[in-house]
Amino acid sequence: MKLPWYFLRNSPEEERIRKLKGLGLFKELSVRELRELDELLHARSYQKDEVIFDEGDAGLGLFIVVSGRVRIVSSHAALKRLAPEFGPGDYFGELALFEESKRTGGALALEPTQVLALFRTEFFSLLERDRRIGVKILYELSRTVIARSRRLLASEAHLPTL
Amino acid sequence: MKYEAQPGALTWAINVAVTCLLLYLFERILWLVIPALLALVGYYCLKPLVQVLVRTGLKQRTAGKVVAIVLFLATCLAVIVLLSVATTRGTAWKAEAVHYLQGGLNFVRMTEASLQKRMPELKTSALVQSTPTDLNVATKQFVENYLGKLLLQAVSWLPSLLLMPYLTYALLQDGNRFKKHLIHSVPNAFFEKTLLLFNRVDGSLRSFLMGLIKLACLDTIFLGLGLWLLGISHPLLLGLMAAVLAWIPVLGSVVACLIVVIVAATDLPNDLVTTYCCILLFLCVRLLDDFVFMPLTVGRSLRIHPVLSVLMLFLGAEVAGPAGLCLVLPVLGLVAVVTEMLVQILGDEHLRKRYYHARQLERVTT
Repeated sequence: MKLPWYFLRNSPEEERIRKLKGLGLFKELSVRELRELDELLHARSYQKDEVIFDEGDAGLGLFIVVSGRVRIVSSHAALKRLAPEFGPGDYFGELALFEESKRTGGALALEPTQVLALFRTEFFSLLERDRRIGVKILYELSRTVIARSRRLLASEAHLPTL
Repeated sequence: MKYEAQPGALTWAINVAVTCLLLYLFERILWLVIPALLALVGYYCLKPLVQVLVRTGLKQRTAGKVVAIVLFLATCLAVIVLLSVATTRGTAWKAEAVHYLQGGLNFVRMTEASLQKRMPELKTSALVQSTPTDLNVATKQFVENYLGKLLLQAVSWLPSLLLMPYLTYALLQDGNRFKKHLIHSVPNAFFEKTLLLFNRVDGSLRSFLMGLIKLACLDTIFLGLGLWLLGISHPLLLGLMAAVLAWIPVLGSVVACLIVVIVAATDLPNDLVTTYCCILLFLCVRLLDDFVFMPLTVGRSLRIHPVLSVLMLFLGAEVAGPAGLCLVLPVLGLVAVVTEMLVQILGDEHLRKRYYHARQLERVTT
């Protein structure tokens, strides 16, 4: 149900919300939930060949590609072979959202790239306030993690696929 | 197990020096520091309300406006009610204040008399001779020497205190946007660590200020309950006053204890035991505060060694007087968090290299 103050919306914010709605990770979120999430997202711009993060860095959050391309470079054999690339709508560094561990690979901008960063502690504060948003994001995240794990396992000849 | 490097002696020396410098500056702009601190308390208290409104579908800025308007109206209402009560009951309050002062003086005289019985040499002591016997003369002296200055000071503080609701409104509406803009100006290489720094500062400030509010509530409940059991009038009001005064380290507690003793001595003039019980109750609550409530509420947020805390209290009082006493610990706590993170960010060679690489890329592009 729309509340009486619905007409008070301004366009730049609505434009941002519309773009967020178009991202796969947030597709299940309502406008109201996206508005709450928007407060926590940080927009960053990277030049071609600029390092976003390095392998071994402390993982503090996840990055969503808005425009441009990002390649993951790693010393781990499986990741090295796959050398995954991410384009608009994709996200990477998602494991940092679950635990405070070191990055298993580095991220490099292949062309001028714009990303949105979601910081772990801010995401946790959102989870405490509104679990429904958290459940929706975590469901999408776990689907991606499973899909990526399958791909990794499939690339390892001696391991069975899940 | 995670290992975090502890700040060394040099870092702590820098922390102490920066804290003293900040206190010196704060004392010069106290008219802005006090409303800003109150606004921060208001911001942390009202932020959940803004988030609730956002969840109903309101935009962040509109929700901030709605809450600020409600706060403003509530403040106006409180001022109107207070003024109307003050004008109708002003004379009665004055009489009551004199009555309580007289009660306090009687208590001092009775204690002196009982002490003199046991120790006759006290008869000639300066304390005994300096105690006023006629309250009217003492009141007249007070009015002539201090009341005018006190009233003038109180009036001069009014405009700056009016800043508080406005600053709260600004923080509620644009606090997050301001934080995002600040972080946006940080180079990419230091972005994640800076975000962590902001988060820690925000967390420390919030837990300290909210801890103070929780501590005041606990103090009010325990003191109020104790005073009610002892049969003292206005126990909740006295408890609240003592709890708020306790925000001023050392001095605040002494003043609060004096007020409670004066009220107790006036309510029960011939019952010295109850008055002493009030002092005992006060001491018990202070001990509970220092060893149980404080570590549970405020203490965790600061992470400062007790010895350093005491030393800093003296240093704060020396540098900035009573304001320094109140502000020294939270300022030191914040400075410690900031320096710790700055050392981590700027001391990281890896991040510096990444920053210089990005600068080189920028030069090549332009």
